[in-house]
Amino acid sequence: MATRNRTQIFRKHRDALKSVRAPSSSSASTSGRSGGPVIEMVSSSLLHPNQSYAPLSTEDPGSSSNGAVTVGLPPAWVDISEDIAANVQRARVKMAELTKAHAKALMPSFGDGKEDQRLIEGLSQEITDLLRKSEKKLMRLSAAGPSEDSNVRKNVQRSLATDLQSLSMELRKKQSTYLKRLRQQKEGQDGDDLEMNLGGSRSQTEDDDFGDIGFSEHQMAKLRKSEALTAEREREIQQVVQSVNELAQIMKDLSVLVIDQVISRFLAAIYYCVFSALGIILVNAVLSSKQGTIVDRIDYNIQNVATTVEEGLKQLQKAERTQKQGGMVMCATVLVIMCLIMLVLLVIKEILF
Amino acid sequence: MSHLKAIYFLRPTSENIQHLRRQLASPRFGEYHLFFSNILKDTQIHILADSDEHEVVQQVQEFYADFVAVDPYHFTLNIPSNHMYMLPAVVDPPRLQQFCDRVVDGISALFLALKRRPVIRYQRTSDAAKRIAHEVSKLMYQQESGLFDFRRTEVSPLLLIVDRRDDPVTPLLNQWTYQAMVHELIGIQDNKVDLQSFGKIPKDQQEVVLSAEQDAFFKANMYENFGDIGINIKSMVDEFQQLAKSNQNIQTIEDMAKFVDNYPEYRKMHGNVSKHVTLVTEMSKIVEERKLMLVSETEQELACNGGQVAAFEAVTNLLNNENVSDIDRLRLVMLYALRYEKESPVQLMQLFNKLASRSPKYKPGLVQFLLKQAGVDKRTGDLFGNRDLLNIARNMARGLKGVENVYTQHQPLLFQTMESIIKGRLRDVDYPFVGNHFQQGRPQEVIIFVVGGTTYEESRSVALQNATNSGIRFILGGSVLLNSRRFIKDLEEAQRIARSSSSVI
Repeated sequence: MATRNRTQIFRKHRDALKSVRAPSSSSASTSGRSGGPVIEMVSSSLLHPNQSYAPLSTEDPGSSSNGAVTVGLPPAWVDISEDIAANVQRARVKMAELTKAHAKALMPSFGDGKEDQRLIEGLSQEITDLLRKSEKKLMRLSAAGPSEDSNVRKNVQRSLATDLQSLSMELRKKQSTYLKRLRQQKEGQDGDDLEMNLGGSRSQTEDDDFGDIGFSEHQMAKLRKSEALTAEREREIQQVVQSVNELAQIMKDLSVLVIDQVISRFLAAIYYCVFSALGIILVNAVLSSKQGTIVDRIDYNIQNVATTVEEGLKQLQKAERTQKQGGMVMCATVLVIMCLIMLVLLVIKEILF
Repeated sequence: MSHLKAIYFLRPTSENIQHLRRQLASPRFGEYHLFFSNILKDTQIHILADSDEHEVVQQVQEFYADFVAVDPYHFTLNIPSNHMYMLPAVVDPPRLQQFCDRVVDGISALFLALKRRPVIRYQRTSDAAKRIAHEVSKLMYQQESGLFDFRRTEVSPLLLIVDRRDDPVTPLLNQWTYQAMVHELIGIQDNKVDLQSFGKIPKDQQEVVLSAEQDAFFKANMYENFGDIGINIKSMVDEFQQLAKSNQNIQTIEDMAKFVDNYPEYRKMHGNVSKHVTLVTEMSKIVEERKLMLVSETEQELACNGGQVAAFEAVTNLLNNENVSDIDRLRLVMLYALRYEKESPVQLMQLFNKLASRSPKYKPGLVQFLLKQAGVDKRTGDLFGNRDLLNIARNMARGLKGVENVYTQHQPLLFQTMESIIKGRLRDVDYPFVGNHFQQGRPQEVIIFVVGGTTYEESRSVALQNATNSGIRFILGGSVLLNSRRFIKDLEEAQRIARSSSSVI
């Protein structure tokens, strides 16, 4: 937009007029002005002993010259809002660092990646701390007070609350995408391991029939398989725990949003999901208690496997027998023989006639 | 409150300067930053400097924005005493001077913001336009020539000042395109629509914002006619219902998280959909109540084509119809009078009498006043296309071809003006230059200012013209934004003042 600065001309006029006006009252005004701030600071400190003066570098109380009772300092809640704004700024900077750390950790590397993990954890922890502290301070901002500036306070509170909310949502989104990608990577590796294990154990049980190869190798394979199963179960439980945490976070977010019909239906869905999630946890617990710990039950598993395989062999032999006795084979052989006979008869007919 | 810094954004009028003087004499805030929306006179700076004893003013700047930009190519000045342009100067010189000053300030702020100095043409038959044109020229070329001395382009832009009375038909017609229709039936003020007077509206829909900058649906549909809007709204509602249904299908935690993330957008879309649905519903109700389909068909016939006899019959029938409201009757008679002023004055008298007998609140003589202001003798352009042979032929061709939509056949006179500018055929006799200005070739930027107000139909015309990329960019401005009610109110005010002053004189 087009603008024109008239401040120079204005200042020139003002100074010119001041020098015209000044000679009569200059001494009084300057002394008054220099004495003013001192008096005001003292009186204000008496009136508000618990006010912090640190962030007030720019406020100059020297402009109001009509009596020393007027407080030239902003009210206390401005300090809180400035703190929160500073926290928000710091959190933003840390989030940028966190994104970089995420990207670095996801890149395939030969190293252990433990330092990356620690860095990421540390950063996330700091950011969540900052956000939580800011939220607590925000609650203090809305405390009951004089109604003159309640509108301004509400507006400031609302704007800071929206900033905080957007930051926390961003953080969670980043964390969830990072975890998802991490899980994809890890599953890629673990899936192969699992298959190899299972394949190994299968080949071992086939050899079982032909004799006693080596009980310890067999057992080691079984152990590995069971460990994998344990790890998987633990992961599932972790997932459930995380889901419940996410749910808690979602409930907290919802408290900010307006409740209406959609939300109440949504809440019903949540309750249903929570209960089903709890149900899943309970069922898992029951199952694991029934089976006891996996390691104790290895002999039980081995016996199971042996019996099932024997059964399977028997069934297979029976099937072969029934299939051999099957009517289909009979029909097919009879038909083929008939065809051959007919062919022979045809040839004989040709030769004779 | 001396810990606060105060920012003032004011128009540099003498009233504001006085108020500021009082403020600065006993300042309430710690720092004062003053921004003015137009040029500050030196005397005003002196006054401010004089009163700033406590030296609280930190900066004084001019920020040229002394107009209201309604749409990308449309601005207005929202002048309350708009009716002054209809009266001769002798009636109320100070008020007229005030009006002209405000217009001149607005136009100069516009050109300072655009950083251009134009060549000025005005409509010969209008005193107000002539006066404003000369004053603007004086300001730009003599008084503040240093300020306006911008980098000169090859072809200077053109400022064309015309008078509303050259085209009194456009503000009187009922509109059927979205933005124009909302303004005509309900009223848009500063891009806001106030629905409080219509009962049974939910709390959060009582005052809605209708702006192309913020509402994508409105931007796509503001120039569409009523039927197409209905279709588009229906598809928008269907889309929204799909979204709502998918939101109810929440199975996993991820779905839930996604729902919570998308909820603010969902809410916004919900608000937008309900706003448009409310507006269209209210407008449909009004159309139904006032039988506007019937009335508007006759209006369009009066404005565009048709024979006198058929028109007279149609208008008489509608005047006899009980359901037609007073303002619609008045409009019909006005349009008939403007069209068939000279043909069969007897029938015209009949219509006047019928109108006076039917409408209790009708101020007698209003239609005659309109004819005196904007009658066929006073108009420059060929409003009804029946002066120029070429136009008559064009009208006949259009009549034979038939129109797509009976309700939107009217083209404002502005459209013809813009066409003549593009072809370079704007007659010097009708639109002379100010002083010794001269323009070589065609301008690339044309600012048309209508003294007396513009309508949304004209702004639509300008927007569509700009979209055709003819190489010339048009900007439209007016002293107010008219709808039929405002135009008639201005007429009534002017008539009242004229009457009272003539009785004094």
